[in-house]
Amino acid sequence: MRRRRVRCFLLAGIGVLYAVSVPWYRASGAPPVVVLGLPDWVLVAFVCYVGVAVMNAAAWLLTDVRDSEEEDAR
Amino acid sequence: MSPGTLGVLGLGLYLAVLACLAVAARRARRDLSPADHFLAGRQLGVLVLFLTLYATAFSGNSLVGYPAEAYRRGYAWIMATAFMLAISVVSHVLVPRLRPLAVTHAFVTPGDWIRHRFRGEYGCQATTVVVGAVMTVALANFLLAQLVAMGHVAGQVSGGLLPYWAGVVGLAAVVLGYETLGGMRAVAWTDVLQGLLMFVGLGAMLSWVLGEAGGLAAVTRAVATVRPSAVMVPDRQACLNWASTIVLVGIGAAVYPQAIQRVYAARSGRTLSRALALLTLMPVVTIAIVTLVGVAAIPRFAHLGVIEADAVLPRLLAAWAVSGPFGAVSATLVFVGALAAIMSTADSVLLSLGSVVAGDVLGRSGSDPRTTRMGKQIAAAILLGMTAMALAPRFTLWRLTELKMELLVQCAPVFLLGLHVSRLRALPVLVGVIVGTAIASAGVLTGVARIQGIHVGVLGLVANVAIAVLGSGRRP
Repeated sequence: MRRRRVRCFLLAGIGVLYAVSVPWYRASGAPPVVVLGLPDWVLVAFVCYVGVAVMNAAAWLLTDVRDSEEEDAR
Repeated sequence: MSPGTLGVLGLGLYLAVLACLAVAARRARRDLSPADHFLAGRQLGVLVLFLTLYATAFSGNSLVGYPAEAYRRGYAWIMATAFMLAISVVSHVLVPRLRPLAVTHAFVTPGDWIRHRFRGEYGCQATTVVVGAVMTVALANFLLAQLVAMGHVAGQVSGGLLPYWAGVVGLAAVVLGYETLGGMRAVAWTDVLQGLLMFVGLGAMLSWVLGEAGGLAAVTRAVATVRPSAVMVPDRQACLNWASTIVLVGIGAAVYPQAIQRVYAARSGRTLSRALALLTLMPVVTIAIVTLVGVAAIPRFAHLGVIEADAVLPRLLAAWAVSGPFGAVSATLVFVGALAAIMSTADSVLLSLGSVVAGDVLGRSGSDPRTTRMGKQIAAAILLGMTAMALAPRFTLWRLTELKMELLVQCAPVFLLGLHVSRLRALPVLVGVIVGTAIASAGVLTGVARIQGIHVGVLGLVANVAIAVLGSGRRP
């Protein structure tokens, strides 16, 4: 039960990261500030995707994929 | 030794290893059944499954088409990392429900699920055939993209010794040879080699790109000077396209027939979840690198045409190869890695094409050895047709990918909704797939690829889902 709750939390977090990664909130055409060699909006997106990858990997490790219909029903 | 000769030697060595793996896979064959040929006897372990999923998902498009698209769009192509990640995220909706059913009922093709889900309902057989046909067209398109990429890379790896047509025809014949010889086992084993080569090649490429340009900040400054729009915050339409592409590829690629068949082919559910956990980390490494490579090419090749830009990666590598002995060896390694990625995708597509046409479209039995033979013959025929089309490419590699996804995504409700919505009926699902496909096809035929940045295929998917759900009504 706890595993399932953590998994749901991780999947919800992934949704939030995806929404934040797209620069909707920035004025289009604005010249970017370069941070760590990348335009800031690219860096934000990249950090979000690293977060998605880590959270999704954790979610898969918490996922029980069964090998029979009976086992799945239980 | 010239870079071209070195490239031909590297290619020859790689093809020799592929041949050995194919012969070993042939010897490991247990019987002539479709399950053994198309699913490797359902015995793929974690590492092989992970590398075969990796090599299949990260195709010629990823290594050749994506740097080209990053060259065209600039840093906004970071969206590619997002949509490649989305495939594994969307798989949460598919895999945990489909796997137990697939094992219990011995599914071989995607259509086996449709027959099981809508058994006895009016429209069940038609849904299986229509979904199979849409998948066939999408996969044939995918195969075409791989063949075009093979031609581009083979020409460059040999320093022009192999012309474009020879790369397309010769490598298509190699893929057909080992796929026919060893089935899924040969495909998965060669994918292991191809996945490793691709990974090593990408690491070498990243270090070269950054070293050559003087670091990441220098790349960004140079790009901002040559093409300022490539580093600026994208406009609203580009943001909508970003989100639309995540939906299109995330959902479309999750129901790739070859990915579904790997869900069937895994040794166990635990194996599958571990392989998917590993796979989800790969886009951050792989796609971010190819995006940087494409962006770094902007100042170097300032004015390439739309189709011409598909050769950005081969051009970069050709430049690296003439920079000295280390560059020549490393560039050859990346070239062979890129070819490996393309061939590994082409072989998986070819294997799935044969099984989907024979099993789903033509309705042949999933346990009859004659289905295996028919699948091989169909795969060969489709490969021949696509090879002829690849000799005169008309679309960019990325546009071919979009076209494939716009069709494939119309098959998703049958799987993603069918597994979770018990009241779903076959007939509305069938009408939904037909309407969604018609909308996506209309977009292709009229040349309207996107509306306000949103793919026409995504709009078709919305109509498709609405018809399937509303048409199914309440469960009696």
